[in-house]
Amino acid sequence: MKLLVSWLRDFVDVPVPPDELGRMLSMRGFELAGIEPAPPPASSEDAIVDVEITPNRPDCLGVIGLAREVATTFDRPLRELSRNRPAPLSLATLDVGANERVRVLLEDPALCPRYAAAVAEVTVGPSPAWLVARLHAAGIRPINNVVDITNYVLMELGQPMHAFDLAKLAGSEIRIRRARAGEKVRTLDGTERALTPDMLVIADGARPQAIAGVMGGADSEVSQSTRLVVFESANFDAKSVRITSRKIGLKTEAAARFERGADVGAPVTGIERACALLEATGAGRALGSVVDCYPTPAPRRQIRLRQARIARVLGETIVPALVERFLTGLGFQASKTGDSWDVVVPTFRVDIIRETDLIEEVARHYGYDKLPVTFPALQTPPEAPLPSLNRDRRAREMLLRAGFTEAVTFSFIEKQAAGLFAADAELVPVANPLSEKFSTLRPSLLPGLLESVRHNRHHQVRDVRLFEVGRCFTRSGGEQSNVAFVWTGAARADHWSTDVVPVSFFDAKAVADVLIRAFKVTKPTVERVQIPYMIPGRTAQVVGTPTNGAESPSKTRHVGYLGELAPAVMRALDLPESDPVFVGEFDLGALASFTSDVESRRVESLPRFPSIVRDISIIVDEYLPAANVRGTIRSAAPATLAGVHEFDRYQGKGIPEGRISLSLRLTFQSPERTLTDAEVQQAMEAILGALVKAHGAVQR
Amino acid sequence: MTDVAEIERLRAEFDNELARATSDRELQTLRDKYLGRKQGVVVGLMKAVASAPPADRPTLGGLANTFKQDIETQLAARRTALAVGRPPAGSVDITLPGRELSIGHRHPLTILRERVESIFVPMGYHVVEGPEVEDEYHNFEALNIPAEHPARDMQDTLYLGTPITGGTLLRTHTSGMQIRYMEAHPPPVRIIAPGKVYRRDNFDPSHTPMFHQIEGLVVGEDVTMADLKGTLIGFLRQLFQPDTPVLFRPTFFPYTEPSADIFIGCQLCGGNGCPLCKRTGWLEVLGSGMVHPAVFEAVGYDPERYTGFAFGVGIERLALLMYGVDDIRAFYENDLRFLEQF
Repeated sequence: MKLLVSWLRDFVDVPVPPDELGRMLSMRGFELAGIEPAPPPASSEDAIVDVEITPNRPDCLGVIGLAREVATTFDRPLRELSRNRPAPLSLATLDVGANERVRVLLEDPALCPRYAAAVAEVTVGPSPAWLVARLHAAGIRPINNVVDITNYVLMELGQPMHAFDLAKLAGSEIRIRRARAGEKVRTLDGTERALTPDMLVIADGARPQAIAGVMGGADSEVSQSTRLVVFESANFDAKSVRITSRKIGLKTEAAARFERGADVGAPVTGIERACALLEATGAGRALGSVVDCYPTPAPRRQIRLRQARIARVLGETIVPALVERFLTGLGFQASKTGDSWDVVVPTFRVDIIRETDLIEEVARHYGYDKLPVTFPALQTPPEAPLPSLNRDRRAREMLLRAGFTEAVTFSFIEKQAAGLFAADAELVPVANPLSEKFSTLRPSLLPGLLESVRHNRHHQVRDVRLFEVGRCFTRSGGEQSNVAFVWTGAARADHWSTDVVPVSFFDAKAVADVLIRAFKVTKPTVERVQIPYMIPGRTAQVVGTPTNGAESPSKTRHVGYLGELAPAVMRALDLPESDPVFVGEFDLGALASFTSDVESRRVESLPRFPSIVRDISIIVDEYLPAANVRGTIRSAAPATLAGVHEFDRYQGKGIPEGRISLSLRLTFQSPERTLTDAEVQQAMEAILGALVKAHGAVQR
Repeated sequence: MTDVAEIERLRAEFDNELARATSDRELQTLRDKYLGRKQGVVVGLMKAVASAPPADRPTLGGLANTFKQDIETQLAARRTALAVGRPPAGSVDITLPGRELSIGHRHPLTILRERVESIFVPMGYHVVEGPEVEDEYHNFEALNIPAEHPARDMQDTLYLGTPITGGTLLRTHTSGMQIRYMEAHPPPVRIIAPGKVYRRDNFDPSHTPMFHQIEGLVVGEDVTMADLKGTLIGFLRQLFQPDTPVLFRPTFFPYTEPSADIFIGCQLCGGNGCPLCKRTGWLEVLGSGMVHPAVFEAVGYDPERYTGFAFGVGIERLALLMYGVDDIRAFYENDLRFLEQF
């Protein structure tokens, strides 16, 4: 709202310069957007104070509304518009009743609680300079003296008005009705608008001449030849205007006021003001009475304001005289009964519904800065932290410790990228995305992370190790929390002392192991899996078998997968195929399902007796999984076998075609005694025998 | 032919060469040159002294002998000096770079979120979280924002093309969690709700369609606006500096009444006015207010008995101010050169 200070001075004395006025309005909830010089001819003290009006204060979309705020702030009287007052605050003296020149038919009082109209004879021409200057200051383009007056009233009182050329209204008739299917109207901006039956229109005897509360029609527009006009000054339903304005795609000054809630008390005043301005500027005069259709006058809203409640909400006792001064200044009538007031709310304060709204009015003018500073007492002990937050923190911490840097990527991505990671039927589209780039909710954290890899590669950063904790969205899975990582480039930082070791599947697997251990996944195993965006032979899914409390063995549960990204996907994402990218993604809900508390632990006591270590090298089939070898060893070994660990795998010279040499280190240990070489030797023989039998292993 | 001057010249030449020798090998070469048994400079000098006139011989012989001894002494001294400055056997060049460890870096938005939480948790706040896909009721209606209310324009909403898990939109704030919490817990309430929120904002240096918020809610029988002030002044002064100026100004939110915008003195200009604070000297950091009774009614709390305050803070906004980042999009590019600074 561009407030011209000299216009404001019509209503109230302003005892401070414009910048101080701006600051003071800011401190009462009207954020200062800027101060601009007033247009010529302007005095040096004049200025335009541009303030933001919050949606709850349509009354301040008129000079008079802000004048009340200023009057209350500086405790100055507000000069009201009146029939007795000469310019600049005069209202025309008009009778209310039927007007023989125009017939007004209010057919839809639900969408138009009040409609006032008056006829005036006019001589259309330019407006006087002072009026043009004020409109310019308010940001409104002058058109002609009649239209300018309607806009002047709009900016002064916040009451939208319209002027129809009476000669162009078929049957000299105004019907406030809903549009009929198929009806159209050409609005003042020259655009033909299709109307639907939910829209309220102002029609003449034949067809719509205006879209109620939004914009007038071009056909009945005031022109140079107009002799008689009908002034419209109405109150339209906020919701209806908002829906219509949005459907049509027209945001106008009038619609902005109606959709926030206009003053049902203002329509007649608007007409009286417009007619006074007609006379004052020599543009014309009213003919006959004001027609005021107001079938169901709204009752005055009355609210009880308790003094004690003010203190209870604000934490400060405010003296009654001050409360009364603020309320009266803002246009409320407050009568004190005992420890409270009965407050009558003026019609222009559509935002004041209940007691708390009045308390805000008191607080605003008392000054938030004057309220005391205290602390709320703690009445109950704090709750234990949410398990899901501990879970996410744990996942984050483990990846950080593993040397991964945390990324945050957008939850919505390009559909094309999303389609690489989930079937189209699983994707959740955004109905009104900002752009194609943000059109689909991510089904996986990987597309965002890989985009970050691309960004880094694009900026000459080759070694990228990132992770993210966040939500993913699919139609079947809904909203799910995941942790994912990407790793490309070197496995260890480049150094002059060693050759570069590129990241491999087994580095990615080590990350999975970190998560498996951190979340105490029980009986974790890996399985080969086909995932369309991964290389088939280098991808594993991790499953665990929950044991918590179940009598019968539970089903295995998939917790995540890891492996190498498929070349086709790398091409699609503009990543260089020369450097493999290893990725992994885990379902945090599944990970956390193995233990009720990731932070709890029972410490295992450290072994008190020495261990015995034995190495064994065997030649087996190259496709025999190491896990099977380990399984055979464990089942053949006594309970004293504490650990099995592969330390070499060799294929090539000296080993038959299709076979490999696998070397394992076995650790034997007892919590109760020192083992003897003989018993370990016996165990080793049993183990070797089992390996020979199960896998045709040959000892090297 | 030799004389005193010639010996002095040889001595100067030796001093000069000794000064330039920086290794044991160079010292050995120097020794060979001057003290070599056959071709050495000193051997030559001795021969020349022997063929000098007999009267000069004692003087010249004395000088030559002194020169020889000085060579020995100076070479030895120099050898010792070199040994002292040299690393011991088996040493490495400690000036070569270390093998870089891979240190993971927390994202700045996580660092700040955890920092904000670490201020509120000791004050008894419980951290809650909820779904990012929300329904109209929890995102708007229960918060006193009915359909077709102009306040909905303040938060341009992103809707889903296909509803999932009963939700139709991406939450525009984390306030829905406050509703869910109050639906499930009787007062008193003291929670903070961090998380991602979504708005159909432009994508530019100060806006992204997704950002992070932390909202707080306190409900009790005697919670006042003065408590709101105390709590948030305390929070801001812990987060920024102990003497950071804090300003409360009226504003409008549908779910609070009275409502307050909270500003801190500009971190860049110290309140004198600069482009960052748009010459006002103040930076807006929080929105807040006393919980609207309609919100209490929506969750079944008695608005006569209970009062409360709520607040919300944008984490990116804080991060921009605290770290001097000038483009909010930097938080989402995940450029390692940026992230490794945290």
